[in-house]
Order: sequence, then C-alpha cells, then structure tokens
Amino acid sequence: MQRIGVFICWCGSNIGGVVDVPAVAREAAKFHGVVYSAEYKYMCSEPGQEMIVSAIKEHRLTGVVVASCSPALHELTFRKNIARAGLNPYMLEMANIREQCSWVHQHEPEKATKKAVDLVRRAVAKARKLEPLFESAIPVTKRALIIGGGIAGIQAALDIADAGNEVVIIEREPTIGGKMVLLDKTFPTLDCSACISTPKMVSAAQHPNIKIYTYAEVEEVKGYIGNFSVTIKQKARSVNSKCTGCGTCWAKCPTKNIPNEFDMGMSTRKAIYIPFPQAVPNRPVIDRERCRQFVKGKCGVCKKFCPTDAIDYEQGDEFVTENVGAILAATGYDLIDWTKIYGEYGYGKYPDVITGLHFERMVNASGPTGGKILRPSDGEQPKTIVFIKCVGSRDEAKAREYCSRACCMYTAKHAHQVLEKIPGSQVVIFYIDVRCAGKAYEEFYLKTLHEGAIYTRGRVSKIYPEGDKLIVKGADTLLGRPVEVVADLVVLATAMIPSAGSADVARTVGFTVDKDGFFQEAHPKLRPVETNTGGVFLAGACQGPKDIPDTVAQASGAAAKIIGLLSHSEIAGEPTISSVNEAICSGCLACQGICPYRAIEPKEIVERLPGKQVTRVVASVNSGLCQGCGACTVACRPGALNLKGFTNEQLLSEVDALCQ
Amino acid sequence: MSIENEAQENWQPNIVGFCCRWCTYAGADLAGISRMNYPPTVRVIRVPCSGRVNPQFIIRALQQGADAVFVSG
Repeated sequence: MQRIGVFICWCGSNIGGVVDVPAVAREAAKFHGVVYSAEYKYMCSEPGQEMIVSAIKEHRLTGVVVASCSPALHELTFRKNIARAGLNPYMLEMANIREQCSWVHQHEPEKATKKAVDLVRRAVAKARKLEPLFESAIPVTKRALIIGGGIAGIQAALDIADAGNEVVIIEREPTIGGKMVLLDKTFPTLDCSACISTPKMVSAAQHPNIKIYTYAEVEEVKGYIGNFSVTIKQKARSVNSKCTGCGTCWAKCPTKNIPNEFDMGMSTRKAIYIPFPQAVPNRPVIDRERCRQFVKGKCGVCKKFCPTDAIDYEQGDEFVTENVGAILAATGYDLIDWTKIYGEYGYGKYPDVITGLHFERMVNASGPTGGKILRPSDGEQPKTIVFIKCVGSRDEAKAREYCSRACCMYTAKHAHQVLEKIPGSQVVIFYIDVRCAGKAYEEFYLKTLHEGAIYTRGRVSKIYPEGDKLIVKGADTLLGRPVEVVADLVVLATAMIPSAGSADVARTVGFTVDKDGFFQEAHPKLRPVETNTGGVFLAGACQGPKDIPDTVAQASGAAAKIIGLLSHSEIAGEPTISSVNEAICSGCLACQGICPYRAIEPKEIVERLPGKQVTRVVASVNSGLCQGCGACTVACRPGALNLKGFTNEQLLSEVDALCQ
Repeated sequence: MSIENEAQENWQPNIVGFCCRWCTYAGADLAGISRMNYPPTVRVIRVPCSGRVNPQFIIRALQQGADAVFVSG
C-alpha cells in the first residue's frame, strides 16, 4: 500500500492567481492513498524542497505527487529532491497545473480549479501504481566512428582525437577532403580553400589517434550508445599497402580520357588514378569498370611498372569490424541534378550552361583550365556572364522548397572573381533575394555590387542559343519589365541536396531523415548535433544546407558532445524502457518488426515442465537500444511487454481517474 | 468527469488527450507559455510516444464517460 504525499505549488500568482490552491490541497487529501497534502508558494525553492524531504521522513511517504509546472521543467529537480529523502527518484509523479491549467484557463478560475483537482487525481492514481526504477550502467568504448571524410568529418576527427580518443574515419571516395578541396577561394575572406583544407587532411592522416578507411562504406551497424560494432566494407582498391604513391602506374596507364570526377568531368584521368595531387592517402585506385585488365582481361602495364609490387588485381572487397562508442554522420551534400528538371535552361544540352562547382574548378589555379575562366564549348574567354541563383532551391513547384544558404555568397564571390580576372567583363546576377546573413557577408556582397555586378531581381524563364551566344530571358521584377541578356556563359547556383546514398547510411546506422532527406537532429534548437538515436551525432551539410564556417562550427560542436560521452567509462541507462514478461511471451515477435530502434531480439529460454525441459523463443529487449517509446507494448498480443514508468496499469488508472 | 454539463448550448465535450511527451505535450506547454486559451474540459495524459497508446486506453476512456479522445504525437 502506497503512502502518497501531495504537494501543490502556487508558483507565486502564476498558479495561485487562478487556481484555488488550498481548495485543491483539501480535495487531494481525500484521494485514495494520500496520507499528506500540502501547499506552498514556491515548491521548487529551497524551503519548498525541504518541506517535501521532511514530509517524506515524517509521514513515511512511499510516493510523491508534485502539482506545479510542466514536468519538462522540474521533474528532474523533484526526482533529485525525493532521492535526498531516501525515496527512489522514480516514485514521483507530476501534475501540470501551470502550463496546462492556470495559464490556459486564466479567465475561468472555477473551472481551472476543478481541472486542477482532476489533474492531481490523475497524478495520484498513477502514483499509486508507481514502482521503483533503477538506472543501468552501460560501459562506453572510448572510440568514435566518423562517416564522411569531408571538412566536417576531418574537423570533428581532429577535435576528438586531440582529446585523447581514437577515431575511425570512413570515406566512400578514394581520398578524404570532400567538397571543400574542390573549391577555389572561400567567401568572404577569399582565402584559398585547398590551402586551408589540405593541411587538415594531412593532420588527420598523421594523427596517431586517427585511422582512415578510404574507398570504404558502412556495411552494418550493431549495438547501441557506448557500444557500437560497425562492419566496414573496404572496397577493392587493387593497390595494396606496399604502394609509395610514386605515380609511375598512372603515368604509364594506357587507358586515358576518362572524365575526371574531381574536375566535374572537365579534365581526364587514367584508369588507375588518384583524384587530385594532394589526395590523402596518396595511393591510387583502379577503376575496374574502365581498366583494360578488368574489362578485356589483359594489359598489366601498371603491375609491370610498379617498383614496389603494390598492384593486386586479385584483391577483393574486405570486411573489417570496428568497435566504437559514438558515431558521427558527416556525409555532406551533392548538388541537385538540374538537367533533369530545368528544361527552360536546356536540360544540360548547352555546354556553356554550367554549375557553380564547374565554375569553382575552372577558376581554381590547379583546375582543368589552370585558373582561366573559359567557355566549355570553344575555350574562349567569356565577356558577359550570367549567374542564376536559386536553381532548385526555393522552388516549390519544380524542386526544393528550402534555401540552400551558401549560394548567395558564392555567387557574389564568383562575380567578384569574374570582374577581377576578365577586364571589361559584364556580370548579371538573377536573384530572388540576396541573403547574406553571416559575419562580414553583407560587406562582401556590397563590395561585389560596387565592383559592378548587376543584380537583377527576378527569375530566368528561358535560355536558348543564338549563334555562339546564349540568350537569357528573364524578368526584372523591381522594374516590372522583361530582360534579355546576350551571354557567353551561364552559371547556375544549384540546390544542395543530401549526398547520394545518405538515406542508406541513415537506414544502416538507424536514425531518421527529414522531409528533404537531410538527417534529422534531435531538436532544432537545443540538440542540433544529436540524432534521436543515442550515441549518434550529426555535423555539416548532411543535416541541412550549410557553408564552411557553419559546418566547421557544427563539427566541433558534435565533437564536444562526443568527447563528453567518451569521457565517461560508463553511462547511466534510462530505466523507462520496455521489459518482457517471459512467462507469458508467446515468442510471436510482432514487437520486433514494430520497434523503430531495432531493440528487440529473439532469445532462447529453457523451461522446466513436469518431467522434461523445453526450449522456446521469447522476445528480449536490448536496454541500450530501447528508447522507451512503448510501441512494442501495443503490438504485444499476450500483453507480455510493458513499458516501465508508463505501464498499462498506470495508464489505465490515469484514464479512469480523469474520467470520473 | 467532474465538470457537470451546463445548459445544452454551453455544452463542452469532455476530452481526454494522449500526448507524446516530445512533441504535442511540449506543444501544450507552449500554448500555456503563450497564454493561449482552450476549454478546461480538455485533459492531457502524458505518454512517451503516440505509439504507446493502446486502442484499449481509448476504448476505456470512452467507456468511462469521455465524450472524445484525441491522440497526438
């Protein structure tokens, strides 16, 4: 039999100004199981908490109901409070008579008082059914896994490794570096992107605590916060660890003219290649779909010339398992394929309509044109360049609804670079809005404007070729008239979308994505670098379009969270999780399919029946994975599953108490 | 429920709400913080997820006299 104490808070006049608190306390004293009922001005204050502690001791209370603000605010406070008096902290139930009573019914004090009584009755009914709960101790493996070796992954890896933890980076491409190494200069300071990112790549590669798998993918993730077991698929590189990166193989390789992905296809590479000279690791990979040895079965040139016998045509995919305590998803972005969507821009038929990334490679001194801005069609220097912003972004009808955030600034940077590199050039920028929210961003935009970039507010409705020129037809919505520009080159600022394959990463690791496929953070404001899955974190453009400063900031933020997690040798497991009554579990495992966290597994148990032993299968809950949603309890036909802290009995008694 | 029905024209249905603690319950808190108003005949039970709501709970609420039940999460 529970002995319940009820404590009603005035919260100054917040509750007391509407609800007749003494009347609620008098009513509460009559409820079944209540042996003590009191009210006080501020229950959460030191004297208020002391009042609860002494009442627990004096009246030998076994359960406590606090009627005050939302449990979201002070449940933890009062749990700690009753623990000080020697009660199990989970023997507390709160009645929310502020946010969900006095504050929403301030004009109806009588009805609000009646409702407060009902809410306290509900809380007492639940309190009568409460059971002590105990937090479990989950051991933590002090290692982190980072999926994606772009600037977000590298930054986080360095931060986590510098704090003394081991880090494993998995990168799908043959090199780490991601998109940042493709870029030329970065806004608003115009420092060279590769010059600031390649040293970080090298630092990561040389760090004693960092292990990098390139040309690798996550195959399977098992386990839970603190204890993940990750199977990594190391794709066959066909080049083993004896390689010194001397470059003889790609110099001798006879298979030429393969479009180089790193240069957006504007340069060529061999069948054995490194993506760019500063690649980390500096170890080539054989493109098996194009290599003559694999396609035709004979060639062997690279193997013949390799001075260290590093070429291995027989190499197969390998699977490696790494045990880690935390996972960071940093899979970055891709640009939307505008050629499938924008017929008015020519579906990609016109070679002189390019994307911002093409432009970045072209304007880059180490790029395919050696830093010269040239028309892809004839290699001539363009004089009039049109930039179109929001291609695929802010376009509900055809593509994505959201703003890609970085385009306003990089387009301003491109315009600046054109005006700087091509004397006498003309730049026309079509925009919807100019969004420059960032430190020194607005100043950069204004500088470009003063340099002579013509900003035209409006969308482009049509691009078509005329001779060797492109006619760009649009509208100037500020002047309210159509505009036609005869352009030599058109650059599209295309939308950022989640990188290809990111949905598979989310599914494999086990967390959710948002409506656009970006990874879903646990809370947009207060938990921006965590997912809803314990121990899994986010950084960079995989969570939403971002520029480099925001990406790096978020990566360091996620790293801080991971370092915090890894600083514990064990963490407390939430006790409000599902449990199985094995005696009545029929082993149907309907719960297994419904569990969104993959926390339920079959387990064999041995039972003794008269004269024999029987082995049968029952459901078993993994306490590290279970997030306490309780969906399994609803699916359970025999009623063998129950959720601690929200049991069927507790919820039914709450319903009964509210409907009296 | 404890609130007696007033004259027919003032009748307010007694509503039991099952609200997910992460979203709708927090939303109900936000309604309070924003000092929005809704009828006092709405009473909320906090659940860890709308997936926790067994259809039996809804049936029981209706059997016990609730005029309506809403599940939100």
